[in-house]
Amino acid sequence: MELSFQTRTVADRTVLEVGGEIDVYTAPRLRERLVELVGDGVRQIVVDMERVEFLDSTGLGVLVGGLKRVRAQGGHLVLVCSQERILKIFRITGLERVFDIHPSVEEAVAAPVVMPDGTDAGISDDDTHDPSEQPRRGPAGDDGTTTASGH
Amino acid sequence: MTTAGKKPIRPSVMPADAQTRPEEATLRHVDQLRVLLVEDDEGDAYLVQELLAETGGSVAVSWVRTLAAAEQVLDVDCVLLDLGLPDAAGLDGLRRLLPQVGEGVAILVLTGYADEQQGMRAVAVGAQDYLVKGQVDGPLLVRAIRYAVERRRAEDAERALREERLRAAENTRLERGLLPTPLLTGSDIVFVPRYQPGGRRLLLGGDFYDAVQDAYNAVHVVIGDVSGHGPDEAALGVCLRIAWRTLVLAGRPMSEVLPILQQVLVHERHADHIFATMCALTITPDRRGARIYLAGHPAPLWLESDRVVPLSKVAAGLPLGMFEDAKWEGTQIELGTDWSLLLYTDGLIDVGFGADRLGAHGLVSLMNAQMRAHRQWRESPAVLLDALVEAVTRFGGGVELNDDLAVLLIGLRSSLTPHEDDKSAEART
Repeated sequence: MELSFQTRTVADRTVLEVGGEIDVYTAPRLRERLVELVGDGVRQIVVDMERVEFLDSTGLGVLVGGLKRVRAQGGHLVLVCSQERILKIFRITGLERVFDIHPSVEEAVAAPVVMPDGTDAGISDDDTHDPSEQPRRGPAGDDGTTTASGH
Repeated sequence: MTTAGKKPIRPSVMPADAQTRPEEATLRHVDQLRVLLVEDDEGDAYLVQELLAETGGSVAVSWVRTLAAAEQVLDVDCVLLDLGLPDAAGLDGLRRLLPQVGEGVAILVLTGYADEQQGMRAVAVGAQDYLVKGQVDGPLLVRAIRYAVERRRAEDAERALREERLRAAENTRLERGLLPTPLLTGSDIVFVPRYQPGGRRLLLGGDFYDAVQDAYNAVHVVIGDVSGHGPDEAALGVCLRIAWRTLVLAGRPMSEVLPILQQVLVHERHADHIFATMCALTITPDRRGARIYLAGHPAPLWLESDRVVPLSKVAAGLPLGMFEDAKWEGTQIELGTDWSLLLYTDGLIDVGFGADRLGAHGLVSLMNAQMRAHRQWRESPAVLLDALVEAVTRFGGGVELNDDLAVLLIGLRSSLTPHEDDKSAEART
């Protein structure tokens, strides 16, 4: 149950590289780290999850908490993840519509700072964002999930 | 009694950070008991120390004159407490000391000759025993100290056991609240649940389930999971289940139920980051179709004769308690005339270590293997579920699961027809 953090700055973003397992036991440490970053005035956070071996629902909760916290300060939090088994967890929980998920740090850093619902970062707070506003109907995945959001 | 010129033995100095290693502590318990004498009368103190010295060093005694001084050096096996101290008269001193002594520290009260009643009262208040001054010799005093220490250890062990029993009783109560008797009496739906608490201490998590047949014969089923685990999460799970059942019995459509459950969760949770996932389905009165709602929860598995298929077309909605304006839209599915479904919580898939977790994909493989090994599963769905839970536990190392897990098998009675010998298949229906 190891969890490791490394922080670096790329362009105007702070990249938090997380390694290990994010589960019910380690998730509080990730929460502390994110609270610390926002408390230190960081507003553009990239959470690099390429070295995360496992993510459970508690970990998802912490990421959502971090996203809300930084948004409340007019900032933004995006994720870097290309691992299918982790991406699947975001699909199952409907959270792929909430997070900007990029396949690499380079792409995350190159992406313009825009909220997932199309508004500029800093204008919308977490309560005005309706993740089901933009239903995307897609073919059913073979993994038991779908990207569809009905209305 | 005081003999001039004879200096009373001063309390031996105890380092404030006396961190005895366990083996040291054990040795000392065996060889020598550490006794703290709290006595303001020099003569009495001298006498006690002399009596103990006679017995050949089986007791190491240190002496203080006031309760305030005693409070600084309570790292001993037994306190010999005089009840007539300058800074604490009568039982007050005992009452002050009791909450301060750690586990395993016995208190033996010393009373005056004419005060045996007070000694008995001291025992009633919480001392392990009392001694009347002037009525003891060395061996008797040492024996009284040893008995007091043993009695204190027995009391501590008994209390720990009692607390463990209380916790178990509380778990049982919570479990009853989380895992109810489904309201499906006389229904044509078979409902086979399994629940397993997680962790070394069989911790309850917040997994819950329920099933209700409403006045129009529609059957509603729910399975859910409150994030984290522990009694608070379990209590929240009970609360969500009761709220769900109430809303369903009140005839509210599921599209309204989920937003209300989210409100309940937000109001009742003990920390902002707590959320819940849930899968709810409503089976039509003709039993040929169902509407499924997912709130951050894995989709049910559809059982064919020898394999399972995930219901991949069900829209994935957000977990409850994350975003205030989240909405949940159900997905209509055709069930046909011969169907069974498996609903489960994360505990069934977050099994294993590091990157080698079972996952939803692994669960499908395990389930397929179990269905092939139990070809008559329609007649013995409980056996199938037990075998599945066992296989999952084995995958996780065979010892225990970190998280609690809940799994439900539901199906049409014509499709799922448990034999009477399929133990507890319908124990709850």
